[in-house]
Amino acid sequence: MNEITSAIQLIPLEHYIVLSVTLFSIGMMGVLFRRNIIAILMCLELMFNSANLLLAAFSAYHSDPSGQVFVFFIMIVAAAEVAVGLSIVVMMKRNVESVDINLLNRLKW
Amino acid sequence: MILLVILLIPFITGLLLLPVRNAATVKQLALASSLVNFLATLSLVFTFPVSGYSVSWINSLGVNFALGYDGISLIMLLLTSLLFPFIFMAGLKREQENTNYLYALILFTQSALIGVFLAQNAFLFYIFWELTLIPLYFILLLWGGDGRRNVTFKFFIYTLTGSLFLLFGIIYLYSLTPGVHTTDFSAFSQLNIPVNTQVWLFWVLFIAFAIKMPVFPFHTWQPSTYTMAPTQGVMILAGVMTKMGIYGALRFLFPIIPAGVLYWQNTVIILSLIGVVYASVIAFRQTNLKTLIAFSSMAHISLMVAAMFVLNYYALQGLLFQVLSHGVTIIALFYIVMLIEEKTGTLELPQMGGIKLLAPNMAILFLLVVLGSIALPLTAGFVGEFLIITGLFQQSIWFAAIGGITMVLGAIYMLYAYQRVMLGDKKVGFGNITDLKPVDYIVLIPLITIILVLGIYPQPVFNLVEASVNTMQNLLVPVADVLPALPL
Amino acid sequence: MVEQIPNINLAWLVPAFPLLGFLVTGLANKRLKHNQAGIIASAMVLLSFLVSLVLFFVLRASGQNEATVTLFNWISIGGMNIPFAFLIDHLSLTMMLIITGVGALIHIYSIGYMHDDGRVNSFFAQMNLFTFSMLLLVMGANYLVLFIGWEGVGLCSYLLIGFWFKNPAYNYAARKAFVMNRIGDLGFILGIIVLFFTFKTVTFSEIFSQAAGFQAGAPVITLITLLLLVGAVGKSAQIPLFTWLPDAMAGPTPVSALIHAATMVTAGIYMIARSSILYNLAPFTLNIIIVIGLATAIIAALIGLKQNDIKKVLAYSTVSQLGYMFLALGLGAYSAGVFHVTTHAFFKALLFLGAGSVIHAMGGEQDIRKMGGLRKKMPLTYFTFLAATLAISGIPPFSGFFSKDLILSKAFEHSIILYILALGGALITCFYMFRLLYLVFFGEQRLAGAHPHESPKVMTIPLIILSVLSVFGGFLNIPSLFNGDSKFITFLQTAVVSKASEELSHSTEIGLILGSLLLLGLVIFFAYRTFVSKSIIPAKDEEPMPFFSKLISNKFYIDEMYTAVFEKPFGFLSDFFYNKVENTVLDPAVDEIGVTTARVGALLRKLQQGNMSFYLFAMVAGILLFIIFILIV
Repeated sequence: MNEITSAIQLIPLEHYIVLSVTLFSIGMMGVLFRRNIIAILMCLELMFNSANLLLAAFSAYHSDPSGQVFVFFIMIVAAAEVAVGLSIVVMMKRNVESVDINLLNRLKW
Repeated sequence: MILLVILLIPFITGLLLLPVRNAATVKQLALASSLVNFLATLSLVFTFPVSGYSVSWINSLGVNFALGYDGISLIMLLLTSLLFPFIFMAGLKREQENTNYLYALILFTQSALIGVFLAQNAFLFYIFWELTLIPLYFILLLWGGDGRRNVTFKFFIYTLTGSLFLLFGIIYLYSLTPGVHTTDFSAFSQLNIPVNTQVWLFWVLFIAFAIKMPVFPFHTWQPSTYTMAPTQGVMILAGVMTKMGIYGALRFLFPIIPAGVLYWQNTVIILSLIGVVYASVIAFRQTNLKTLIAFSSMAHISLMVAAMFVLNYYALQGLLFQVLSHGVTIIALFYIVMLIEEKTGTLELPQMGGIKLLAPNMAILFLLVVLGSIALPLTAGFVGEFLIITGLFQQSIWFAAIGGITMVLGAIYMLYAYQRVMLGDKKVGFGNITDLKPVDYIVLIPLITIILVLGIYPQPVFNLVEASVNTMQNLLVPVADVLPALPL
Repeated sequence: MVEQIPNINLAWLVPAFPLLGFLVTGLANKRLKHNQAGIIASAMVLLSFLVSLVLFFVLRASGQNEATVTLFNWISIGGMNIPFAFLIDHLSLTMMLIITGVGALIHIYSIGYMHDDGRVNSFFAQMNLFTFSMLLLVMGANYLVLFIGWEGVGLCSYLLIGFWFKNPAYNYAARKAFVMNRIGDLGFILGIIVLFFTFKTVTFSEIFSQAAGFQAGAPVITLITLLLLVGAVGKSAQIPLFTWLPDAMAGPTPVSALIHAATMVTAGIYMIARSSILYNLAPFTLNIIIVIGLATAIIAALIGLKQNDIKKVLAYSTVSQLGYMFLALGLGAYSAGVFHVTTHAFFKALLFLGAGSVIHAMGGEQDIRKMGGLRKKMPLTYFTFLAATLAISGIPPFSGFFSKDLILSKAFEHSIILYILALGGALITCFYMFRLLYLVFFGEQRLAGAHPHESPKVMTIPLIILSVLSVFGGFLNIPSLFNGDSKFITFLQTAVVSKASEELSHSTEIGLILGSLLLLGLVIFFAYRTFVSKSIIPAKDEEPMPFFSKLISNKFYIDEMYTAVFEKPFGFLSDFFYNKVENTVLDPAVDEIGVTTARVGALLRKLQQGNMSFYLFAMVAGILLFIIFILIV
């Protein structure tokens, strides 16, 4: 365990942050601009994982394992979320014959 | 402990009634419970003062479930427990839909009203204050007359908006209390709030009461609500709910923000007196009997509000006396209105006339109640209004003169209504109107007896509230010289 | 402490009897058979009369001038202590005797008059209630008990004017009477409140003993007396609140006799006489009373000239006579006013009852143009009516002469102009009364098909008794001119403080009396020429009339003026408030708040397009803005 943390600490924290922010931004842009719902879900995963990466990095730098616990926690939630999300996609495909989210515009009023 | 009993009797009876399907049983049970409640309240009068009841409730907020009462609460409690048996009796021998739900709701209202009058801290007060609204909302919505959906909605939103300000005011006061925050009235009254704060806080607190009472110009929900409300609903509204507004103002304004009261005193008195004249004048041309009485009630209540704000000894005695007298009179009036509507099928004055020929006894009792309402001496109304006008006079002779106009205008519109309904030749189609039934006498005779007895021998009521009135009337004295100039 | 007079506590019985009668006849309404209600009611009033007589002798035997009988504490809070108490003194005894005495006669008369009415039991119940209230009014030991009676008689008057409630016009008249009285009552109650704050009490004896500490013309006393005067003006039908009294003739005739002639309308005079000590301190108010009284006396008399309804003539004559009483009060001759109240009660009650007898005989006809020649058919009624007419006209030695002469001589002492005006009014009174007498009883019968007959004994006996009183009532107070000792005035002196004035010399007085008698004789002769010799019958309503006659017969258009100035604007105001203020400003303003909320909602709703990408974009934008905000602040 200690080797892993020291291995992580070989790379400066700033690099992790920059990488994570980049990944997060890519994911966010994808969520905002893609219309394919599957792509959006994938981008969401990307955002999750950027957050996970950051949590792991900080956990190592602070010698506090609870950050890594959170990572597992998030992974589980993300898995559940993907399950729900994909089932929505399937239902959507069945009902409107498309995976374009702009077709789902009844969520108002 | 007895306070808790008084509070819970109606509530528990209401719960028990919910599954009962037999309408007659429901009515009898409700009536019996209200009578027991009345006796319990009456016992308070003879053992006055009884120590309060308090258990700790929400410690983190510093809120206790504290019940207690003083002379003013006692008058209100008496009024409530006196009127509810009559409200229940008004339903005897009458077909009503879903009787069990209706009566359970009425009982819940009663319980909440009693809670308002017993609450010893603002938190509890506010809960009960809002709680009265919910069963009443359903009573009006489900058993009301034409246009009930819109009218009830307006009534509900209007009063709720007022209460929102009250809630804000309570939270603000709560935040001001030193040390561990509390909402006790006793703590609120020792706050020593800066005068400038009191000046704006007054309206925050007053607006809820002003809407409930109602004070001109916050009255617009009232005529339409009274007109469409079912008889028992309007009895609760006019008989007790209006007094709840008065009670709230007495509890919140005078002890807690005396300087604010003093600052706005004349404004409110003038508004009330405008209300007196305005409502009386409007009442004259109303064609619907219920609307007419709604405006007449507003005129009387406005006079009481004016009396409350002059806050001298005679005005307060008169006010508290008038609380009782108006409650009893207005209930009797609405009962007779219900009878008239049952018998003629209409409330429109132009379509009525000559009922005295067919139902002479009803005409006599109606006249007696009308006389009580226009403050003829030896009825309760006279004692109350005489003292109120005396109190107003102490403030200014003009206040007294305008307040006294109710006596003249009241005579004009009430006698006009009486004449249109009862006198003249009978209208075609009124052939099969019958006179009063025994149950009607059982309701009306005691009410009229109360009106007369209070008018002839009012002393017991005066003695009951004497101590509280003496405390009250001195509340404004110490702040009189710290006041900024009025903007008027 | 005044020594308690034995048996004076019987006083409570006086109002108790009529109250009992009211309860019995009222509650047992349906069960009472023919005439029973009338007999019970009359008996109760008669009992009251007897008790009043007993009280009179008890008081006299005790040698004291007044006694207070307290029943219980009515209102007692703070500094306000208002007992429910009766004051028995010479003034209240006088009034009690008039009310119960004349009242009993009228009750008995009503047994005959109301014989055929279906609701005779209610009638007697209400009459008894009236007697009860009127007794409370005169017996009350403080202003508030007086006020109970004051409003009570107003109520009974309302009920009895509208007794035949099928007729909307009667109901309107009843309501008009009540409302006009109420306007006066408002002034009265305010006056009581000012009294209370000035003297810290409303009890007569305490107020009057404190009043000595006030200067004549003190503003507060003037205010009090003016406010009380408003009440008196309303109740006693003076200008400007007099129009209700003629309309009040809608009630059954005995009601007009009892309430609107003998008792209730004199309540205002009683009240002012009772407050004589206060009024003596308010010369300004007294002057106003003189003006009001004189104006009312003359204007009402003028209107009386052209009335053709037998009861309306008497009504205006009542208003006019009340004006004389006011004049007496204004001159500070309160006792003279009360004396005129007394004699007026006798002869006016007699006139009304006589008129009732006539109406009864004519089968309900009230128009004097259709009567005539009744002298032969109804001799008893004729003679009693004649006695009353002579009395009201002030012909010696009938009762009206003494009381009216007393007032006229007081007016002469005050100023000659007052005297001339008052005498003018008296001459007009004489003219229209004889016009009435001649048109009704002389000439030929003008209504075809009517068979007038003398009324039954139960009606004529009260007439006879009253006519005896009308003829000899004046002897109660024989002035020193006729070697009398002014008994009545002296009797009242203990209760009523009249202003001292110099006595006229006997020669002046004789001159005045002879002069006025000469004029009266001329007037009667003129009336005789017009209505008997030439047998001129007043024109029908439709026929054109000269301007002044038209003005008079339309009562100076005062009713129309009130309608235009008060009633119509009031209705207009009511509509304005309801339609304009309430329904176009206040209510919509509240609704507008709700509608505005809804409108803002509708606006914001546009943001909610249902486009997922937009939602996401908005969310991200929001988060970014939030972060930026945090970073900056």
